[in-house]
Amino acid sequence: MTPLLELRQVSRRFAPRTVVDGASLELFPGRITCLLGPSGCGKSTLLRMIAGLETPDLGEIWIGGGIVASPAGSLSPGDRGVGLVFQDNALFPHLDVQGNVGFGLTGLSREDRTREVLRLLDQFQVRRLAAAWPHSLSGGEQQRVAIARALARAPALLLLDEPFSGLDGVLKETVRGALLEDLRRLGTTVLVVTHDPEEALAIADDLILMSEGKILQAGAPEEVYRRPASLVAARLLGEMVVIPGRITAGRIETPLATLPAPGLPDGPARLGLRPEALSAGETGVAARVVRTRFAGDGHRLTVDVGGIEVPLRWRSTPPPPGANVRIDVDTADAVLFGPDGDVAVSGRLPAG
Amino acid sequence: MAAALGPGTANIPGRDILRYATTTAILAGAVGLLTGIAGAAAAWLVVMHRFPGRALFTWALALPLAMPAFAVAYGYADLLDVAGPLRSTLRDLTGRDLPFEIRSTGGAILVLSAAFYPYVYLAMRAAFLNLPGAILDAATLLGCRGPAIIFRVALPLTRPALGAGVALAVMETLADYGAVHFLSVQTLTTGVVRAWSVFGSTASAARFALPLLAAAAVLLWIERAGRRGRTHETGKTRWRGPEATPLGRPAGLAAAAFCLFLLSAGLLVPAGWLVANLWDQAPDWRRLAAAARNSVGLAAAGALFTVALATLLALGSERRPLAVRVASLGYATPGAVMAIGLLAPAGVIWSLFPGSGTALALVVLVMAYAARLMAAALEPIDAGFARISPSLTQAARLLGRGELASALAVRLPLASGSLLTAGLIVLVDILKELPATLVLRPFNFDTLAVIASNYALDERLGQAGPPSLMILFLSLPAVIWLTGRISSTTPTARREIRP
Repeated sequence: MTPLLELRQVSRRFAPRTVVDGASLELFPGRITCLLGPSGCGKSTLLRMIAGLETPDLGEIWIGGGIVASPAGSLSPGDRGVGLVFQDNALFPHLDVQGNVGFGLTGLSREDRTREVLRLLDQFQVRRLAAAWPHSLSGGEQQRVAIARALARAPALLLLDEPFSGLDGVLKETVRGALLEDLRRLGTTVLVVTHDPEEALAIADDLILMSEGKILQAGAPEEVYRRPASLVAARLLGEMVVIPGRITAGRIETPLATLPAPGLPDGPARLGLRPEALSAGETGVAARVVRTRFAGDGHRLTVDVGGIEVPLRWRSTPPPPGANVRIDVDTADAVLFGPDGDVAVSGRLPAG
Repeated sequence: MAAALGPGTANIPGRDILRYATTTAILAGAVGLLTGIAGAAAAWLVVMHRFPGRALFTWALALPLAMPAFAVAYGYADLLDVAGPLRSTLRDLTGRDLPFEIRSTGGAILVLSAAFYPYVYLAMRAAFLNLPGAILDAATLLGCRGPAIIFRVALPLTRPALGAGVALAVMETLADYGAVHFLSVQTLTTGVVRAWSVFGSTASAARFALPLLAAAAVLLWIERAGRRGRTHETGKTRWRGPEATPLGRPAGLAAAAFCLFLLSAGLLVPAGWLVANLWDQAPDWRRLAAAARNSVGLAAAGALFTVALATLLALGSERRPLAVRVASLGYATPGAVMAIGLLAPAGVIWSLFPGSGTALALVVLVMAYAARLMAAALEPIDAGFARISPSLTQAARLLGRGELASALAVRLPLASGSLLTAGLIVLVDILKELPATLVLRPFNFDTLAVIASNYALDERLGQAGPPSLMILFLSLPAVIWLTGRISSTTPTARREIRP
């Protein structure tokens, strides 16, 4: 499949910082891709370069097989076939919903434009709001109008900048679910920028991880979650329990588990486990409860295993601090990190 | 008002009032249009684009505020005089004369537009700077470019500010006496002063004043409505202002030329001409020095009194908002009208304290200034107080200070910058003030503006130069400080510096 969007070694510098540093990525038609990274990692700048609101200092941006930006010059934002939905939706406060959605539809007759606007509003179930003013809409409604406005010019690619950050709790999941269903139904190619790993994992067909201006890893969400390319990448997607250990003669020994580490040199190393790999059991490794905390769906315990504190989820009434418990360790998705945080062996360590 | 409706002997036919009112309306409309276009265009250029001299023009474009409108009129009248060097040279070169007479309604329109465009410029500059960057980006992404962004997005969103800026310029036009009188244009304000000074009839003066007051009230309402503005921010995201884009070389030079033209029209040409004429003059330095002392003294006293009163009003405004609004009405009232209105109460006081002539007259004059400029002082002071978190005052109250004591210990020091801003605005306005001073000043008490006006009316334009320039140079530091403050309190001050 040929990529719809391709970034080749794109860099952007705002002195004294290189905000985007040699970023390369590909987006495929009809898929929803999430660009996940912490605040200030350069993902918004990357988005603005794709939209044409910033020009890269180095590298090239290709859309639909044509080059749209390089240090030599760039195509103006209106000519790229890219729609962008801003974090605050940026609806024009002086125009009603119909005026906002029809804003980009120049060159159409009044009737054609009205018909097109109403079709778009129908698609996003906001036709009843056609005459409403932006300030009277709820956050979710504003967003639907903003997306309809961006799609009015039939862009090849839709960019969403932190689209759900203004919504909270239950509402967020409902709005998100309905919206993505609409976008998938329309077959739109979407790039969503977010800093929320739970969100990224929930909505992405393809996931791209970014940190400190660099692309760390790209792939299917589950693949990226299970086989992180580095400790930083692993932690972007959620908590990682890291247990120091030592490799001797092809095996890593840690207080929690001893696993094969074939072909790795002797020396210090670290074992990475997702919290869900640790569970309370009858037979596993002995540990002592340090403290307990109620967390709604159960308790979060901190337990001491051979001088190292690790988290443990507990469903029923928790044992008091000082009590002894046993932990079962599921090493199927364990990751071995070298001393510098690079991955030595990722996922599916041979059973030992 | 009572004077106008009362049975006094008003010898002015209604037809004259209509003629004066028509001229005033044409003048006000044309000045509003010209200042609106010029001020908004200049503001758009310096906010949205980078071009040669932009940093300089950003603050320099406001400098004509230091130049009294009558001084602009003197400069152009002398420069464009039929016997003047410019026209003589043109006649010699082309054999034809300029088909333009500065002493006409058209001339007055150009002079007042050149003098008052900074009101629109400052209002629109602030409004453009406050446009959310995302809104402009959204328009660009939807295929909008160039002028379409201005007319489809930027202007609709800043219309309240445009209305407010134009309203200020028109209010100043209505209130102007020195420039229009000198250019022999008969407006309602010159009518007010003439009716009083020539016919000695307060009633006739008041008849001229009534339509002025009505127009002023409407303008004040527009200006207030503009200040309320609409808020566009949702508060969810980090604020980003508009990004200035570089202009190409020809466009950049054209932008710089346009800004230079405005600055020249409002300040450089008239002031330059007055300066150039200085060498032929033998000014009466003793008289000028005395007048300067009077001007500065009056301006300082007026500024202190007005700011003190405005501060008290602002502090009390939380309790009694209506009182503040009534007190602000004076801003729209032309100085001449204000002065005539004060004559009756002043007469009563004079008769009560005979022999206290000069001192009492000065007190009345300072009161007239305060009444006229109260709103101009209240606005920055109110804004300054509004920026202080209420928890600071509450903390002072909880630490045992009374209401007044906590205001003195916490709010006044924190708002000192705003108080200074208000004081300087009033100071500059009083230095330039003419009609109220003319009417209310004690006998033989001259200010720089009065001297300049007297010389000019005697057709001794060269002699009018030194006092006009002295006003300019006394006001200039204050205006420079004010524009610097205005540029530093914009949201963009926090923006990243781009390479």
